[in-house]
Amino acid sequence: MTTDVPYWNPKCETLPREDLRRLQTKKLRVVAERAYAQSPFHRRLMDQAKAKPHRIRRYEDIRRLPFTTREAWMECQAQTPMFGDMLAQPPDDAMRYHLTSGTTGRTPLRVLDGRTDWKWIAECWCYGFHGFGVRPKDVVFFAFSYGTFIGFWGAHYSCEKMGCLVLPSGNMTTENRVKQLVEMGATTVCATPTYALRMAQEAQKMGIDIPKHGKVQRVIVSGEPAGSIPATKKLIEDMWGAKCGDTAGMTEIGTIMVFECSHQPGGVHVIEDHFIEEVLDPDSGEPVGYGERGERVVTSFGRGFIPLLRYRTKDLVVKVPHSKCTCGRTFDIFDGGILGRVDDMKLVRGTNVYPRAVEAIVREHGEVEEFQIILTRQDGLRDEITVQVELKPSAAARWPFIEKKLGKDLADAHEGLRFNLVQASTGELPRFELKAKRLQDLRTKP
Amino acid sequence: MSATIPDKDLLGRPLTAHERELMDLYLRLKSMSANTDLPPCALMNCRQAMVMLWNACVDLNLVFEEPGVD
Repeated sequence: MTTDVPYWNPKCETLPREDLRRLQTKKLRVVAERAYAQSPFHRRLMDQAKAKPHRIRRYEDIRRLPFTTREAWMECQAQTPMFGDMLAQPPDDAMRYHLTSGTTGRTPLRVLDGRTDWKWIAECWCYGFHGFGVRPKDVVFFAFSYGTFIGFWGAHYSCEKMGCLVLPSGNMTTENRVKQLVEMGATTVCATPTYALRMAQEAQKMGIDIPKHGKVQRVIVSGEPAGSIPATKKLIEDMWGAKCGDTAGMTEIGTIMVFECSHQPGGVHVIEDHFIEEVLDPDSGEPVGYGERGERVVTSFGRGFIPLLRYRTKDLVVKVPHSKCTCGRTFDIFDGGILGRVDDMKLVRGTNVYPRAVEAIVREHGEVEEFQIILTRQDGLRDEITVQVELKPSAAARWPFIEKKLGKDLADAHEGLRFNLVQASTGELPRFELKAKRLQDLRTKP
Repeated sequence: MSATIPDKDLLGRPLTAHERELMDLYLRLKSMSANTDLPPCALMNCRQAMVMLWNACVDLNLVFEEPGVD
């Protein structure tokens, strides 16, 4: 078998840069032409921008194409419920539905995928898992809840494809997860960075020395930027006695677009035969050079149901040449992974939280006079989100009902994320005359 | 009837023997996957197999298309 080669796809992962650019240009034209022909949303955007997909001949021609924004995507879903007019295939042909939190209220961003999409989604994860050293003999434990949150779904399928023994832990408690991964001799554990630390902490409480009693060689993390924060990565590696590899993806593309290879270059390689990742000045929209911080703008070549062209992710990154890594891949690198956000979105245990979306839900409750959102990190590990709520004096007695209803509404709009609700006394919370500041992020890291 | 196997990949390089074989399998499965006269057990498994081959052929730059089986 050839699984001992370091690359999942040696042909493309080592392509000379100029060939990679030619390949990306060819794929870009095909994807743009298809989007124009089959997605009313994209046709409208391209017509407004006077962009002609058939004129794409050079890599730089990508700049002729208009940006896609999350706001426009959500707007088209609002105009044409439930999925908008962005789809390039009829909804009846879909075989999978996932969602992510919306930016402005309780309406989520909804995505549909077809058969080929999900095979491609798993394929991209294969680049990452194989690249970090996962092989068919590995036993891979997924500490993931398997709901409409896309999380590690694609990773699960990638490991099945690679021939690994897959352990899906679904709704198990943390204690049971620790027990099972040790008992089954898991060699690879997948979780958010926060939850990887939480499991290791739980193991210590249970008297289990994971580095000594377990067989874990790799912890593969996703969903939060912490996987590329050196101090957090070192903490995970020390607590697990294993290498920690970062990946990053998003519901909008269904899979990962970057992964850390086994050489651990201090960043993540872009899967450049399946994506174009531009880095632009968030204000001017102009490209920034290697080593400069900018917004990542993604074009996906793989998702057939929802073509995604020049999508403004609002993630901040610094791209550096592939030569920073010694692995031999020619895929460029986001140094330090995802570095932060252009907008005010917060990540809480892998879930996107937009303060204005929380406000929209809180304000549906007429009894609320004022509120504050507070983000904290418990024991240096687990992120918590608390909403302090000050009721109108006349409604104070209704707190038990409001607490339950508001808690459910917030969780429903955020893939089940639990919000802690605390009643504040009358006049306790600050009032604002100008720009309100209702979110306090007391965590030390993003 | 299967489509013709290309001589070159998307970057103009000649196909290896393995690549030709992969493309042949993909194109044959794609053709079978459009045959709705097959019983469900054959049709759906053909489509699954075809999409896996599609993945391999796209990864190797042999083809770039939506196979149209959803």
